Amino acid sequence: MTDPTKRKHGDASDGALHLGSPLARVDGDRKVRGEAAYALDAAPAGLAHGVLVRGTIGAGTVLSVDAASARQSPGVLMVFTPFDTPVLGAPDSFLDGTPGEGPFHVFPASILHWGQAVAAVIAETRQQAETAAALLRIDYAPGDVVPSILSKDAGPGVPVGAVDIDRGDAEAALAGSVFRVEATYETPREYHVPIEPHGAVAWWEGDRLTVREPSQWIDAMARTYAGWFGIPFENVRLISHFVGGGFGSKVTAMTHGAVAALAARELGRPVKVAVTRAQNFTAHGGRAATRQTLRLGADADGRLKAIVQDGESETSVFVPFVEQLNAATSVMYDVPNLRSRQRLVHVNTVTPAHMRAPGKHPSAFGLESAIDELAHLAGIDPVELRLRNEAGFNPQTGQPWSSRRLREALVEGARRFGWKDRPAAPRSMRDADGAFLGWGVAAGLFPALDHFGEAGLRVDADGSIEVLSAGIDMGTGTYTILAQAAADALGVLPGDVTVRLGDSELPSGPLAGNSLLAGVMTGLVHKAAAAMRETIIGLALTEQGSPFRGSELNTLDITRGRIHPTLDEGRAVPIADLLKAIGRDRIERIEDNFPAGTSAQERHRIMTTVAGLRPPDGGVSSVASWCAHFVEVKVDEDFGTVRVRRVVSGFDCGRLYNPHLAASQFRGGIVMGIGQALLEGGRVDPRDGRIVNDNLGDYLIPTNADIPDIEVFSVGEPDFRAAPMGGKPVGEIGIVGVAPAICNAVFHATGQRIRRLPLDIAALLSTN
Amino acid sequence: MRSADTPFVRSAARTDLDLHLRVNGRSHRIRAEARETLLDVLRERLGLFGTKKGCDHGQCGACTVLVDGRRVLSCLTLAAQAEHGAVTTVEGMVEHPVGRLVQAAFVAEDGLQCGYCTPGQIVSATACILEGAATSDEAIREAMSGNLCRCGAYPNIVAAVRSAAAVVERR
Repeated sequence: MTDPTKRKHGDASDGALHLGSPLARVDGDRKVRGEAAYALDAAPAGLAHGVLVRGTIGAGTVLSVDAASARQSPGVLMVFTPFDTPVLGAPDSFLDGTPGEGPFHVFPASILHWGQAVAAVIAETRQQAETAAALLRIDYAPGDVVPSILSKDAGPGVPVGAVDIDRGDAEAALAGSVFRVEATYETPREYHVPIEPHGAVAWWEGDRLTVREPSQWIDAMARTYAGWFGIPFENVRLISHFVGGGFGSKVTAMTHGAVAALAARELGRPVKVAVTRAQNFTAHGGRAATRQTLRLGADADGRLKAIVQDGESETSVFVPFVEQLNAATSVMYDVPNLRSRQRLVHVNTVTPAHMRAPGKHPSAFGLESAIDELAHLAGIDPVELRLRNEAGFNPQTGQPWSSRRLREALVEGARRFGWKDRPAAPRSMRDADGAFLGWGVAAGLFPALDHFGEAGLRVDADGSIEVLSAGIDMGTGTYTILAQAAADALGVLPGDVTVRLGDSELPSGPLAGNSLLAGVMTGLVHKAAAAMRETIIGLALTEQGSPFRGSELNTLDITRGRIHPTLDEGRAVPIADLLKAIGRDRIERIEDNFPAGTSAQERHRIMTTVAGLRPPDGGVSSVASWCAHFVEVKVDEDFGTVRVRRVVSGFDCGRLYNPHLAASQFRGGIVMGIGQALLEGGRVDPRDGRIVNDNLGDYLIPTNADIPDIEVFSVGEPDFRAAPMGGKPVGEIGIVGVAPAICNAVFHATGQRIRRLPLDIAALLSTN
Repeated sequence: MRSADTPFVRSAARTDLDLHLRVNGRSHRIRAEARETLLDVLRERLGLFGTKKGCDHGQCGACTVLVDGRRVLSCLTLAAQAEHGAVTTVEGMVEHPVGRLVQAAFVAEDGLQCGYCTPGQIVSATACILEGAATSDEAIREAMSGNLCRCGAYPNIVAAVRSAAAVVERR
């Protein structure tokens, strides 16, 4: 049982490994000094500024754009409308690299959702561009709008089919169950809201395009730009050294980037396009709204016999995006009979996107709420009920778990929280001021995926050691853990290693998504650094000029950056000195994990489309992270206010590559989960589908004052079936199960079930 | 048929100003439009990109700077309004006796993840301590609630402010 925050620092001198030690964030100094350069923190010479213009109808057609005044407005360089914007090329499919859907119309005249971009203005300054944009006169022919999943005319939706599950005979098992619960759970549209809005700065040198843009997947975005502009992939340089938060929103190239690159090409000068905060609510999708009815059946001991799930999720009228509602439902507990159906409700919205723990969050909200309802009905403690239903293997696939320490998280979490003192009955705990207190619990999981990639290592005679990858760090700690991984394998200190990330010129890295980058890249960097170590030792033993040449030693060691005979550190030579002695300026190694014989073309396809995603452990075992959240809420029934007062959460994420930074991610997920429970939800105008609360004063995310002390702990053990260095997913698991834990605590405090997020104060007041 | 909203900004309203700004102890003479915010001038005209734009509406705090020691949202402040004040941005914090401590505490406590809100948090935390507002965790949370952090570093931010405030107190 480790407390991620209270481990001693390890360094090479005490024999401890760097990977797994709580090293401070290596890019922390740059960030606190304002020196970390994000995409829009650049002003190349001759920079022009572009702004996007949003359509103001929910569906229909742009009939005309009168841009005469705008074009004459001071400083204006260019106006793009649906009728005079060059059509861009057709990138290959994002899914598998097959030919794409045809040319990209940057501003189609056909409007499919409110806020769809309809024009852009480029000017000398952003203020001039904004002024001119306001002068555009846009005439529309509005069409019929289906604003949201809640609209009466939205219909029942279209069956997804591909995610249906029929395990055993769920209806019969439900009918024969001693305890049955049935309820409908709803989650709203949620938005990623990274504090860094989207944007891009683009410029051309001949037929080579450079784009600075926040990106969770450098190579896939570069591939799209190459397709749009009909240039080779190698001619696109995408730079994303720092990403100001992503949460799933910065995976693909979008209209703003196309406009920046197109305008830069047309004008022959660099162009910056900043997406405004309001535009970020319509330029890309957030999490799809969902609704699901769950029926659970259990025997007299509370053992689950059946789950029947019937749900819908929202998507656009043009892409069948699935927010998979049974992602947790199907694997969380040992249920012999399960039936799951999901439909897609197509409405006039921007296509939803993956957002932190896609599917897993709404799935766990329904399941973990229903489990609490079942526990209450059966008179069984909700921790005990979960323990009784522990799944010894993946009940959906039959695979063994690579590791599953949910039981340990539940038991230890209950102990730390003081759960044994919880009275079972709702409305039985009060604070000193008379307000109700409630304690709730919920569990969560995050299934792992694996990916391919490369890692570069470079050692210079000037003493520098660099790790090279196009993978990125969006606050997840990639810079830090890759320095740690390299240090261990090479025999140097993390502080000696410079990690270079987020540039498509560097060796190809996987997407920062599905919490997989850390597992893939620590393994690859370890491999590259180990290969580098062998290379250096080989050179030291054989090259002319090396002090170790002809010493008849079989091998050498490298410790703290110095090469020496294994048992004799007194004869140590710094790596840089060896390189100088043997006349080498630089040694580079690039290692990968592609299957032997993978062609360059296939590598490109794997690294730039979702075709590269694969099950971990060769599909032999089922790999997932697990968590349990314990929450205390205080409910003031006079005002209907709910405050989260205390959170204790246990995690099984295997080995933590850096417990200090992993704890930050766990807490961050929990904070976002508190927002989901209490604050967050897109409000849709029922007339035209406009997002009414498209700003941070109305779409509320947690503030510092909303967040209590959060205690996180790890019960994970190294799991080398999950990843080469023994870790499991960290970045998204923290969010899963937080909202149901809070709602279960609200039930314990008040006796009222919260089945629709975010919690509605009026609803809480109305029945009191 | 429907048309877009009537334009509300008139290009005739454009007026250039010669401004003299003092930022991080340095004087800058610039020509800017009257409507340009302090944030845009810092970033786009002075190249001080440390200060971040998160919303441009005074709702997120990423653009927080000090003007004469007071916390100011630079996106809601016209550059012209700062003309007679001393502006301190995150780039100036390394020279600031309290700001420097705050920076070190944020790194030690991992009071950041993606780092984008961090410049505003650093400036705000420095002011929060100097205002005497860092008297308890609860007070720190309240005083720091104008600075949103989507990565959810709040508990670590509170720990950082608490520890920096304790160092200041000891001096």
